[in-house]
Amino acid sequence: MITTAGEAWRRGGRVAGAALGALVVGLAGLVLVGPFGAGGDDGGGLGAPLPAPPKSALNIPRPLALAAADRRATRWAPVRIPVVARRAPSLRAAGVTMLATKTPEGTANLVVVLPGALRRGGRLWVRARVPARAQEPMTGWVPRRSLGGYRVVKTRLVVDLRGRTATLMRAGRVVLRAPVGVGLPASPTPRGEFYVRDRLERYASPVYGPLAFGTSARSNLSEWPAGGFVGIHGTDQPQLVPGSVSRGCIRMRNADIERLGRLMPVGTPLRIR
Amino acid sequence: MTLTDPLPDLRWVDIDVDGALAETEAAAAPWTRADFLRGGLGALLGSLAVPALAGAASKPDRGDVAILNYALTLEELQAAFYTETEQANALKGETKVQARVVGGHERAHVKAFRDVLGSKAGKQPSFDFRGVTENEDDFRRTAVAFEDLAVAAYKAQAPAIRSKAYLAAAIGIHSVEARHAGWIRRLAGRSPVNTAFDEPISATRVRAIVAKTNFVTSSPKTGTKKGSPRFTG
Repeated sequence: MITTAGEAWRRGGRVAGAALGALVVGLAGLVLVGPFGAGGDDGGGLGAPLPAPPKSALNIPRPLALAAADRRATRWAPVRIPVVARRAPSLRAAGVTMLATKTPEGTANLVVVLPGALRRGGRLWVRARVPARAQEPMTGWVPRRSLGGYRVVKTRLVVDLRGRTATLMRAGRVVLRAPVGVGLPASPTPRGEFYVRDRLERYASPVYGPLAFGTSARSNLSEWPAGGFVGIHGTDQPQLVPGSVSRGCIRMRNADIERLGRLMPVGTPLRIR
Repeated sequence: MTLTDPLPDLRWVDIDVDGALAETEAAAAPWTRADFLRGGLGALLGSLAVPALAGAASKPDRGDVAILNYALTLEELQAAFYTETEQANALKGETKVQARVVGGHERAHVKAFRDVLGSKAGKQPSFDFRGVTENEDDFRRTAVAFEDLAVAAYKAQAPAIRSKAYLAAAIGIHSVEARHAGWIRRLAGRSPVNTAFDEPISATRVRAIVAKTNFVTSSPKTGTKKGSPRFTG
């Protein structure tokens, strides 16, 4: 059947009008009855009475942002596999020092890990502080896989050789300051950036007092047994502290080393200046 | 990636030296379905009678303590992962934002679990993430696996929680973990959601998966109470 354009328009208008009417009726029905037909005898739908939700037994706090001191904390890691620390992140780079898995005292050897890992030659490399003498490189690159899991500390220890004091800071605040004995002119305490790598207690020798910390700093006494590492320890001659009295070690009065023992974790960076 | 193999690209070495995961599983293992059915009715009726009072004042019973400790271990794993990532500061853009925001959530979850468990909380595990926190691709892949795993683990344990108040808490965390999963999946170029129904993963399976990552380690021995110092003195 052939129709004119005007007839088609009028017919379309009637259809649209009918559809609009049906929509209005439908919306009215939704308002009166509810969108899911609630209110019926079966008790279903959103209109049915339901129990209140139980209260959570956990008091979940607001998200706990990492504090600035935690973001800036020093990372350290045990040496998991014996490895050569190198001048650059490459197996072809010159070696700085060999890192064993144990210290001379038999504790886990560790390094302080500096920011900025690099992927080179299919390996992830990290730069670490390593044991050293004053004139030697104090950092080296090691494959990340040679180290164990990271731990963090928020403390740092500064030993002032001229002032003969040790100052411990935690999150940037001074928590301990004490006089120290340092190396004699013939066996000076080395200057540089080191770290505390173990803690010894209950040994027999009274020379070291009640507590000793091992550090990554090495004295110039290269013939000394076990590598000539510098310790931070107590003493049986407190009258010599402060003073220039040792073969490189940092001596503290026993009360002070015990206070330090309560405040300073292993892995703490050590600056000797 | 599928739920049966959430960490396909990581190293598979069986170890859980500290035993933290084994500890939580051992605690949960004696709590059988029969125990639940025997002891659950009273608790269920009690919680139905006073739903509003079943909240923070009530202490978890033995079975719920085991599940909460299990959840705590998973939250510790995630919190440590994101915290180490933020400290490594190797990420950029939205992935960096995701790590910071989600880390805040996971640390909040850990605190909440530790607060409610008190002295019954399991020991804090030690972790070695083996560099995955220091590389963007590795981070994203691991984060997807952790979040998918957390969602599936909560889903598996939720029906076994006897206290409605603890169930409510678990569901509240579960949905947050699902949002984390969607977010990191999108950042990793994967579909945020690819199934209409998520399958749970049992505690035994979760433990095996986590153990195989070798992320849970022992603490290094950095002190000794025997032997003499060998320092220069």
